[in-house]
Amino acid sequence: MVQQQPLLEGRNVTKYFGGLAAVHHVDFAVYPGEIVGLVGPNGSGKTTLFNCLSRILPINEGEIYFKGKNITHAKPYQVAHMGLARTFQVIRVYRKMTVLQNMLISRQWRGEGILKMLRPSSKATHERARQLLDFLLLGHLMHEPAGHLSGGQRRLLEIGMALMPDPDIILLDEATSGINPTLIETIKDRIRQLNRQEGKTFLLIEHNIDFISDLCSRVYVLDFGEKLAEGTPEEIKNNPAVIEAYFGAE
Amino acid sequence: MRTRRLETIFSSRNTFIGWIILLILLALYPQVTELSGIRLLQLTQIFIFITLASNWNLIGGMTGYVDFGHAVFFGVGAFVMGILVTQVQNYIVFAPGLSFWQALPIAGLAAMLFALLIGLPTLRLKGPYFSIAMLGTFVAMREIVRVLKDFTGGGRGLDLPPVLNRERDYYFMLVWMGLVLIAIWWIHRSEFGQSLMAIREDEVGAEMRGINTTKHKIIAFMLAAFSTGIIGGFWAFQNTYIDPDVVFIEQRTVEMVMASMLGGLGTVWGPPLGALILYVLQDVVWSRVPEGHLVVLGVLLIIIVLFVPEGILGTFKNPSSTSLGRLLRGYREEQPRPETVATE
Amino acid sequence: MDQLLQALVNGLLLGGFYGVMVLGFSVIWGVMGVINLAHGEFVMIGAYFAWVLNRSLGIDPFLSLIVIMPVMFFVGWLLQRVLINRIVERPHLIALLVTFGLSIALANLFKLFFTADPRTVPVSYNGSFELAGLTFPIVKTIVFGLSLVVMLALHIFLQYTRLGKSIRAAAQNKEAARIVGVEVGRVYAITFGICIALTAAAGAMVSTTIPVFPFMGPPFTLKAFTITALGGLGRIPGALLGGIILGVVETLVAIMVPGVGTNLGIATSFVLLVVILIVRPQGLLKGLRPMEVT
Repeated sequence: MVQQQPLLEGRNVTKYFGGLAAVHHVDFAVYPGEIVGLVGPNGSGKTTLFNCLSRILPINEGEIYFKGKNITHAKPYQVAHMGLARTFQVIRVYRKMTVLQNMLISRQWRGEGILKMLRPSSKATHERARQLLDFLLLGHLMHEPAGHLSGGQRRLLEIGMALMPDPDIILLDEATSGINPTLIETIKDRIRQLNRQEGKTFLLIEHNIDFISDLCSRVYVLDFGEKLAEGTPEEIKNNPAVIEAYFGAE
Repeated sequence: MRTRRLETIFSSRNTFIGWIILLILLALYPQVTELSGIRLLQLTQIFIFITLASNWNLIGGMTGYVDFGHAVFFGVGAFVMGILVTQVQNYIVFAPGLSFWQALPIAGLAAMLFALLIGLPTLRLKGPYFSIAMLGTFVAMREIVRVLKDFTGGGRGLDLPPVLNRERDYYFMLVWMGLVLIAIWWIHRSEFGQSLMAIREDEVGAEMRGINTTKHKIIAFMLAAFSTGIIGGFWAFQNTYIDPDVVFIEQRTVEMVMASMLGGLGTVWGPPLGALILYVLQDVVWSRVPEGHLVVLGVLLIIIVLFVPEGILGTFKNPSSTSLGRLLRGYREEQPRPETVATE
Repeated sequence: MDQLLQALVNGLLLGGFYGVMVLGFSVIWGVMGVINLAHGEFVMIGAYFAWVLNRSLGIDPFLSLIVIMPVMFFVGWLLQRVLINRIVERPHLIALLVTFGLSIALANLFKLFFTADPRTVPVSYNGSFELAGLTFPIVKTIVFGLSLVVMLALHIFLQYTRLGKSIRAAAQNKEAARIVGVEVGRVYAITFGICIALTAAAGAMVSTTIPVFPFMGPPFTLKAFTITALGGLGRIPGALLGGIILGVVETLVAIMVPGVGTNLGIATSFVLLVVILIVRPQGLLKGLRPMEVT
């Protein structure tokens, strides 16, 4: 695995808000086919790191590589075209549009010209959206406005939207927060299926430790914007520094 | 369910067919009956109204960039037309002034180019900042046109050669309106239009989902400006006289905004409907209080925004979204609250 | 060189006025989050007020502030209760559209009553005095001085009175202010009243230097926006600084672009605004709230 080229790699990633370093000199690498967890207490810079990776936020220092290309200064839509998709901690579905429309918005968008843009979505795109919605148990809600869905269903829809363009890596930001246990099982099951059958790579921000242990092969721990530890979920659980960061020194 | 039925009656396809039939009837109208010049002029004005509202809706409604200075493109089109028709021979020896048909596309393209130049910086601004910047563009352009006396005649204005042909005007605007409405209907169904609406609802999310938002916004802005520039050019020719104060008037933007709001922001057929109602309304108010009709217009805008923010079509489609709709349906539904924001 | 210095003086005098003109706009925005597109119309109303008082009763425009400010405070208070209250805490767009409608209605209402003819408010002490080789027009100097007084008074009010402190509390954190017992609704109404009174006072003062007509408002709104972008929301020193920057830039443009320069005030303001907003979306002095947080 080590000889392989990382799919997504950050070197010395640093982001300041004012004088405060929200992410400080963080190095990490995600290899193709992995499911990697990103954990840490609230305010440790996980979501900020995600925003930096998906290029919503510019970074102050360091470099980000995706598929071997330097994307440090790329635009969000460009990295999306390259095959990086993400979900958001604060759910960002288009509430007024139907579930199906939501899916169609995030279809494959690889450098199409103006004239192609002026066509309605193709049958193939519709078909893919239907299949994905069925896969995520949302098929029967296709024509409902997304604003009518429950929180859990919206999370699923977001995952569906991220999957629409057939990305290589998916960044999930707290996919399980505020979701009932049954749906969490569904999400877990779907992630595993996508990973095994289609070889999708995942990077997950999670607070749910069981979720992480069940899915991830490796975990990074952030605290105060710095990388505190990395290792397998078992190692992390027993790492004293991590325990201290989470529960305070006792 | 009553709402469902209304929704199917007002479905995009039905309305489209309805509009096509209406357009054909309007095309036959002057042929079948003997129309007075005034009637033709009025209808032409309604077409202008409808087209302008639809243009504005493309950027202000569908994309969600509320443009308080859209009339600037009307002005640019009008003045480019005026200069090309009357002034060109002063600068290029032997070249006579261009004809209407030669100058019109140039007027549209000039407005489009202007939209590109002005849009590149202003479309980077969000929400109210964009609105104000466009208002500024509008007020500043009026000033600049007034200052560039050599080209624009300054405050004295320009006289265009009078060519009175109401029937030609009528047919021109009818065709242009038809084209614009079909284009808007098409855009609304297309991936491009869907992406515009995604930008309206959540621009960062849209960008993250692979939509090149800058490109989309600029294209929408330029398309709207092109059509508005064409109408400006046409209007200059029809009116045979332009000066900064008749061309750059706030009222024109207000009318575009109001028609779109009244009919339903971001819908395909709302703005034309709103424009039609607004025209009739203005006509009535104008005949009662010729001096104060803009006061009524301003108050009306406030009332619409406060009580029917989703417009007529929006109220039909989703009665609970407006206070008027709720009143008519006799219930009050809690608006879905935004997710609690958790930030790191 | 002398010309340049003179331009700086003129710009400074103009800037003092701009500082007081913008206060109403920037405080309303800062405290209530409402961008008042009808701001310029209240300048216009103040100017007409002064004109009417001068014309019918012969009251000096500067003296008439004593009448204008209380009356306009009440007008603003009423307007907030009837209309603005409905748009506070709603999306910016709603507020923009409503105040846009208000501006159109007000300007045309005044055209209805006063016609579109430009009016002037004469003062007996026209002229200018010389100081250190520079010319100071008397009226503009009075405007400048009064503006400083008004700003200082507002500053003291906001900093040291109980009501002023409530206003600042409501501006910073509405919910917290509610919890500690500030009646936010009442505070808003009073704030709006004060702001309208200030704006109208600015209008009354400016009526002595420029013609008064119903459509004089929008340029003031635009300039207010520019100055706010320069100086920040609801900050008095910022308003003064922003006003002076705009005043000086405008006067410099006027002497540097011969012939047409004096007519490019709005264009200058506009270019300045767009440049600031793009280069520093948070405002020159970081005083603007970012419109979108990612």
